[in-house]
Amino acid sequence: MEEKDQLQSRQWKSFSDRSRTMNMGTQALKKLNYPAVTMLLVLMAAWYFGAHVYNKPFVFPYFEVVMGRIGEALTDLAVLRAIGITMRRVLLGTLYGFIIGLPLGMAMGFSPLIMKTLSPFVNAVRQIPTTAWVPLAIIWFGLGDGPTLFVLALHGVFVIILNTAAGVMDINPEYYNAVKSMGAGPVEIVKDVIFPGALPGVITGIRLAMGMGWMTVV
Amino acid sequence: MSIIVDHVTKSFSERNRRRQSKLVLKDVCFEVPDGEFVSLLGPSGCGKSTTLTIIAGFQGRDSGDVIVNGRTVTRPGPDRAFVFQDYALLPWMKVGENITYPMKMQRVPKEEREKRLDELLSLAQLQECRDQYINELSGGMKQRVALLRAIACDPEVLLMDEPLGAVDFQMRKLLQLQLESILMQKKVTTLMVTHDVDEAVYLSDRVIVMGRDHGNILADVAIELDRPRDRTSEKYHGYCDQLTELLKTALSGEVFTKEDEDIMNFIKNAEIESRRHC
Repeated sequence: MEEKDQLQSRQWKSFSDRSRTMNMGTQALKKLNYPAVTMLLVLMAAWYFGAHVYNKPFVFPYFEVVMGRIGEALTDLAVLRAIGITMRRVLLGTLYGFIIGLPLGMAMGFSPLIMKTLSPFVNAVRQIPTTAWVPLAIIWFGLGDGPTLFVLALHGVFVIILNTAAGVMDINPEYYNAVKSMGAGPVEIVKDVIFPGALPGVITGIRLAMGMGWMTVV
Repeated sequence: MSIIVDHVTKSFSERNRRRQSKLVLKDVCFEVPDGEFVSLLGPSGCGKSTTLTIIAGFQGRDSGDVIVNGRTVTRPGPDRAFVFQDYALLPWMKVGENITYPMKMQRVPKEEREKRLDELLSLAQLQECRDQYINELSGGMKQRVALLRAIACDPEVLLMDEPLGAVDFQMRKLLQLQLESILMQKKVTTLMVTHDVDEAVYLSDRVIVMGRDHGNILADVAIELDRPRDRTSEKYHGYCDQLTELLKTALSGEVFTKEDEDIMNFIKNAEIESRRHC
């Protein structure tokens, strides 16, 4: 129990540490991931020389040509606008997933009965591939943003439910007894124990949901 | 502000054998009068912690009554403050927020809360830790914070489950001293669960020894010594020996957990010491 507790508080601390360092822009250079930068340079060099040695640009394009095209794309306003639209969709889809997933996940993590009731459905629907939803989504929401947002939200909601529920189940059960014996009601239990206790799990859920959203949105 | 435990019976259903249930407490009766400090002493599995959590209202009972200050206990409440073995301090709140939490729940105005917090922190010499998070504290400090949180609202009754079980020997002695001075100032009715004979004699007005036979009470010993207690006095050792002897019969040579090992070690040390005295 104590180990789990420590883990939880460590997670919490590292989370708050991280947000603290992000606020300090001056430290950004110090925190630069030098090993990864070196690795990136090595990979770029390998590509450059590899492509020139192979010398068949149709199958293995030159590094400098690809970079040039990326540069062109990034300065093209239409592409930039498209990226903006996609980003908006991912964020909005994840937000809808979050709004539905958070209370469901918290309820499932808190009550074994709700978990038992809902988990078969969550786990069954979760397995349906994204592409299988697309025709249905188009019929329901027409063309445009609707079906995309639906599929994104649907994808995100399960990740958020599972991670939130896991986060809530990780809370030391003594905390509930502790706040109850200090006179806390249901509202305070949610506000002061369940929500902050589940926060590391919720954050992981949102991060995963957004990452998967980028993959799905294509 | 007394605690009355009247014929409390409790059984747990065992997971693998559904029809059978394990009887943990059978007709347990005792009383803690107003302002008295009572310890529940016993080997592991004797139901002492179960008794305490039933009084706190964290779990129900099959039959019998628990009456605290004239009211029958049905659920946890702020009239009974609880000190947990593993502290149960909220890691996402600072020390100050943890201690003022019960006052916030009781809708004590903010200024008063701050004033009381200063008072409490100086009582336990923790003024510098006010804005630290719980995981930045040592075990002994966490324990003191947990105790301050428990007494913050001037509870009528204080329930402590092995409050000093997780700190090392030196710190334990120091905390016992602090605990005694704090509680003597307040005169709170206190029930503490422990497996440490010395701790029980040092802190309690009365020690109740529980056995493994469904929590039957083997003895109820009043400790009639002046406070603060003198660990070197003849009488103090007399009480320790008497309780050690009782625990030995309660254990009847069956060592199950680390807790029991602690007791066995204590018994051995006590025997070695008494031989040295002869």
